[in-house]
Amino acid sequence: MSRLLDIGLEQLTTMVYKMGEVAEKAIGISVRGFMEGKDVTRDVNELSEILVTMTVEIEEKTFELIVKYQPVASDLRIINSYMKIAYDFERYGRYAWDISFTHKKLSSLENCALSWDSMERLVEKVSEMVSKSIRALKDHDVELAKTLAETEKEVDEIFFKYIDQLAESPTQTKCAMCNLLVARFLERIADHTTYIGEAIVYIATGEKVTLR
Amino acid sequence: MAKVDIKELNVWFKENHVLKDVSLAIKEHAVTAVMGPSGCGKTTLIRAINRMNEIIGGSRTSGAVYLDGKNVYDEDTNVYELRRKVGMVFQKPNPFPKSIFENVAFGPKIHKIANGKKLDEIVEESLRGGALWDEVKDRLNDSAFSLSGGQQQRLCIARALAVEPEVILMDEPCSALDPAATAKIEALIRELSEKYTVIIVTHNLQQAARVSDFTAFMYMGKLVEYGDTTSVFENPKSELTEKYITGKFG
Repeated sequence: MSRLLDIGLEQLTTMVYKMGEVAEKAIGISVRGFMEGKDVTRDVNELSEILVTMTVEIEEKTFELIVKYQPVASDLRIINSYMKIAYDFERYGRYAWDISFTHKKLSSLENCALSWDSMERLVEKVSEMVSKSIRALKDHDVELAKTLAETEKEVDEIFFKYIDQLAESPTQTKCAMCNLLVARFLERIADHTTYIGEAIVYIATGEKVTLR
Repeated sequence: MAKVDIKELNVWFKENHVLKDVSLAIKEHAVTAVMGPSGCGKTTLIRAINRMNEIIGGSRTSGAVYLDGKNVYDEDTNVYELRRKVGMVFQKPNPFPKSIFENVAFGPKIHKIANGKKLDEIVEESLRGGALWDEVKDRLNDSAFSLSGGQQQRLCIARALAVEPEVILMDEPCSALDPAATAKIEALIRELSEKYTVIIVTHNLQQAARVSDFTAFMYMGKLVEYGDTTSVFENPKSELTEKYITGKFG
């Protein structure tokens, strides 16, 4: 016979997975819009708002489960971690919106003569990390979660080198500002993927690790 | 050094092997909770500490229980003195059919600890220790049965304190009480741990989590897991503990 808590946990899990899909979609639209020079603020804003609402719903669900069932052990670790992961997904959405807004406000590709190599690599790495974080969550895959730390180091390296490159482009102020901010938002998304990775390790093993 | 150090303890009731090689070091001035499904041996374990199992016919014990380094099963142990040092509070409040005062004074009188004014002081101090003094100070001569269930249980705790114990064993002390009375006893248990070593058997997992510093999980006469309470409830080492505390069996 299944426990009453299991029904609630299943609902919570569905909500968190759904939120992950929406967050990934928001980042996908946002970075594609940026790379292709399209204004996608409206679409991304809509998804970002949905993510804010979902965070509140997940928080309410976790409180309900805590109040009703006083969960312990793996149940408690899942509930606690899902609440944190919901916040990370909300941040994915927020940074996705920041990217699209910054691009709209500051720059467009045709006015930008800066090298795109670093930005392309950042977008590729961070998009890969976002997908991995969601896959690792769905599979509770500790090994995959731990690989996020390695990629995050690479992202940091690209980001810091890119800052130096941008600083050497005084004639491209607006474009440099835009790219600097977008790179920073991507770097922050990468950080949040590792937070999700840490939560996955905690759920599966009970160990509190730092993957950054 | 552990206050109570249980080493390879086995207890049989006739042919029934109830405790199997249990070893457990219980820390002084802390609350240790013992949990596990019905029949796992948790009550037998705490009753082994003050040799209460011997009251039941057909019991046999091997192994050792050290209280401050001395094995309570040594032949020269004075069992009455042992039970003064290791007091017990039971599942259902069981006051004597006497006044509130006499319930608390009974132990000090028979152990010849005090009489007269000194006895009055011990009764007051014990009732204060049992968080009951303010509620009964004006009616000490009333029958103990005039008290509510929660008050009766606190009276039993005060009665245990009156003989100056070092260890207090509690066997499901709140199972017959309502939530308000339970909350008072739980707060009292935390207070008592400042002066005494408290070992509590409970079916209520949340209670174990709330009141104890250390938790032991027993299953079918064996100690499965023992550790600090937060770790046991957050990240139990044993799969059996995990299943029990999450309600997946038992």
